[in-house]
Amino acid sequence: MDLTVTERAPEREGFLLVDIDRFQGPLDLLLHLIRTQDIDVFDIPVAKITDQFLKAIKGLDAEDLDVAGEFLEMAATLIRIKAQMLLPRPAEDDEEDPRAELVRRLLEYELIREVTLRLRAAEADRGRRFGKGYVPARPKQAVLDVPLETTWDEVFAAALLVVMPPPRRVDHRITARPVSMEEKAVLIMAQLKNSARIRFSELLEDFKERSHGVMTFLAGLELTRRRVLFLRQSRPFTELWLYRRDDDGEGAVPPDHVVSEGDAE
Amino acid sequence: MNVQQIVEAVLFASDAPLTADEIARADETLDEEQVEDAIRQLRAEYDDGARSFQLVELAEGHQILTRPEFAPYLERFDNVPRPARLSGPALETLAIIAYRQPLGRLEMEYVRGVGVSGVVRTLQERNLIDVVGRAEGLGRPLLYGTTQHFLDHFGFRSLEDLPRPEELPILLRERIPLGLDDDVEAAEHEAEGFVAEPEDDLEAEGVEELES
Repeated sequence: MDLTVTERAPEREGFLLVDIDRFQGPLDLLLHLIRTQDIDVFDIPVAKITDQFLKAIKGLDAEDLDVAGEFLEMAATLIRIKAQMLLPRPAEDDEEDPRAELVRRLLEYELIREVTLRLRAAEADRGRRFGKGYVPARPKQAVLDVPLETTWDEVFAAALLVVMPPPRRVDHRITARPVSMEEKAVLIMAQLKNSARIRFSELLEDFKERSHGVMTFLAGLELTRRRVLFLRQSRPFTELWLYRRDDDGEGAVPPDHVVSEGDAE
Repeated sequence: MNVQQIVEAVLFASDAPLTADEIARADETLDEEQVEDAIRQLRAEYDDGARSFQLVELAEGHQILTRPEFAPYLERFDNVPRPARLSGPALETLAIIAYRQPLGRLEMEYVRGVGVSGVVRTLQERNLIDVVGRAEGLGRPLLYGTTQHFLDHFGFRSLEDLPRPEELPILLRERIPLGLDDDVEAAEHEAEGFVAEPEDDLEAEGVEELES
């Protein structure tokens, strides 16, 4: 892990620019602040470090509560220690230095980090030795190596197939789902009762709203999962077909049947 | 057929480390000592004979492995089994477990300062750690330890091969509370973990227990 930190221009004294994503967690960040500034771990200037820590986590992504929480917890610990340091302590008080626990954790974490590097090296060394279990290479099915050949005409044709009404301008409004997936599943099954296969676009003919398309598609996926039907498409961006799957698990058409281009449209 | 040949045949056919005791099961007349002798001879023979493989002590056993310098040739084949590299958080957590085992998730989280439940699951799925018991105390949390496969993954003969704290280049290391062998110390630290933030920690643990 790269732990470089950019030292900012002197107009903001002591300010460190820290990319929080680079750190494994709050201890990592704290240790970094201490080690890059040659601070004595056993005499941490808590006020200074707390300020730097808080600045560093300012840009935290509030969306990721788990990660943010870990850093905030450490921030709270630092502030608590800072406060305790301000309170006068009688000289003969045998109470521990408020920083002691944190120092222990930091040193131990540093040790773990060092061990981690050693483990990484050991893992790499071991990875260069091979035991039994070697199987001679067999030619692979190089499906992924074949470039996807799609012409602009095809893309354009596919775009034309997507007939969606322009979105109506609405202010933010929350409504119940206008169509249910179950409803669409029933529709699909009704259609498939009479014919072995149907076009996806056929199912949408009587409906204009986008949600119908989405729900029909979801229903198709769900029925596929339940092994009631299967979906076929000859190529990306072409018509989607829904095939009935008969009770014995075999479709009206063999599952590996490839729809020829003529069929597709 | 001599002992050496039998031992060689068993080691040759094995895809995992074998102990002398296990190898000795190949024949009633064999004992552990004979096998150890044969292993020593074989190892010397392979080393002297400029073979592409060695008889390596690994994970408390012995296994025939190719020499590291042949890795570039073997790596060209897709189906040579290749140990996947662990992520940073996984390695970090594994390091804590290796030194402090047996220990619970709470203690790992306390040392790392971040949650570990996802990482622990991954390590367990990859057979690098396993549940080795339960702690006394509230909720009787699960305790984890490293596995044989952990030793294999890092090429260690035993846990003794872990880098010792005193070998690590860190200032003032004598004050660092890490022990290789004493569970008592580990238990004490776990207790410390509880004392530090009792409520939060217990709550978190409770939630995770429910999930799993």
